[in-house]
Amino acid sequence: MHIHELNPWRTLIALSAFVLILIIGFLTRPKPLLTYEKTISESVKALEESDAYFYPWELENVIHEKPDNIVLFDIRDNFVFGQGHIPGAENLSASVLSREENIERMKKLRDMGVTVVLYGGDELQANGPWMLYRQVGFNNVKLLKGGYSYYKEHKDNLALTKNDDGYKTGFPRYDYAEMAAPKDGAAFHTEPESKPVPVRRREKTNVAAGGC
Amino acid sequence: MNRNYIFLTIVMLVLAAGSIFLTMDNEPEQIEPDELLQEIIQPTRYITTDQVAKMIIQGDPSLMLVDVRSEEEFAKYSLPRSINIPLQNLLDDGNLDYFGVPGTKVVFVSDDDIEADQMWVLVKRLGFGSTYVLKGGLNCWMQTIIDPQRPSDDAPYKDFETYSFRKGAQMYFTGSGADIPDASKVDVKVRRREKTNIASGGC
Repeated sequence: MHIHELNPWRTLIALSAFVLILIIGFLTRPKPLLTYEKTISESVKALEESDAYFYPWELENVIHEKPDNIVLFDIRDNFVFGQGHIPGAENLSASVLSREENIERMKKLRDMGVTVVLYGGDELQANGPWMLYRQVGFNNVKLLKGGYSYYKEHKDNLALTKNDDGYKTGFPRYDYAEMAAPKDGAAFHTEPESKPVPVRRREKTNVAAGGC
Repeated sequence: MNRNYIFLTIVMLVLAAGSIFLTMDNEPEQIEPDELLQEIIQPTRYITTDQVAKMIIQGDPSLMLVDVRSEEEFAKYSLPRSINIPLQNLLDDGNLDYFGVPGTKVVFVSDDDIEADQMWVLVKRLGFGSTYVLKGGLNCWMQTIIDPQRPSDDAPYKDFETYSFRKGAQMYFTGSGADIPDASKVDVKVRRREKTNIASGGC
């Protein structure tokens, strides 16, 4: 007879303790700082929301009125930030975005209902971090259209940018098909560009030495 | 059978089944957000129009161009050997099979580079590597390859080399323009046979 048949209560207690420890272990797993709030398909749809973007003319209000509910973050690195940035912007380099204190700050800003505007040297630089923030649930983050380079060009007349197309992206500026069509009725020839031609002379072998 | 054994077996099976259900959902496999952030802040994903033009001309088999514009725009004009996967259709059947093929370099193309970059982020989230973004997009392609600008006379020689390459690429892609700029004069390097000394054992 085995011990657990003689004394079933001991087995039962040991077993319950085992299951309890397993459950506690599962529940107290360290939670990651960031988790995805949107699925991939939701993220794709979210790209088309117009309120996910911040437009250059809206900067005028931010710079002059300094409202409490809008914060500008410059994701470029410190040196470039020092050379020139939008007045009132804070530097939050892309490399320190994943630090715990910065994530906590973003969470606080979201809970307070503050709009966060991200910008980089150009719109492309801030695009990645902005998408990431949106996907992990920070829906208060907006991307500045045109980036810092567009702002710098138009900083004296921001209100006029409403009528400008310069900051817009995602449309063809040329008629591609027409531009790329063969011209002058020339036949399509696939000659590659001229390259330097190394000329190697045939190695003369000595017939007497057995070569040919 | 002993009652305790049966009880024990049931508990084990329930625990095992429970741990399977914890991970079951319909979302495709993804990488963690902080890993994605580390990938996003690297600028190594951008590839220039000159590099892509060179790969097409040389017939590089590892290049795979993915156009993320809409189908109508793709039908009007597209780069040679590119396939069309609009951003909205990323998760459609079979589209994800184009990624993750070992040895291929996937380059995302759009009008500018923002949409291609957005596609890159989503594909990266799904865990696929070897993906790139064409910097400047098709607008830049038109400005550099289809209609390259001649550099000013005080530009460094490298700019002229790039320009002559671009003129050649222009001929390749549009089949036009027979004028060959001076910078691409054929340079004939003549390598003379190395004269060996028969006495020293050469031939």
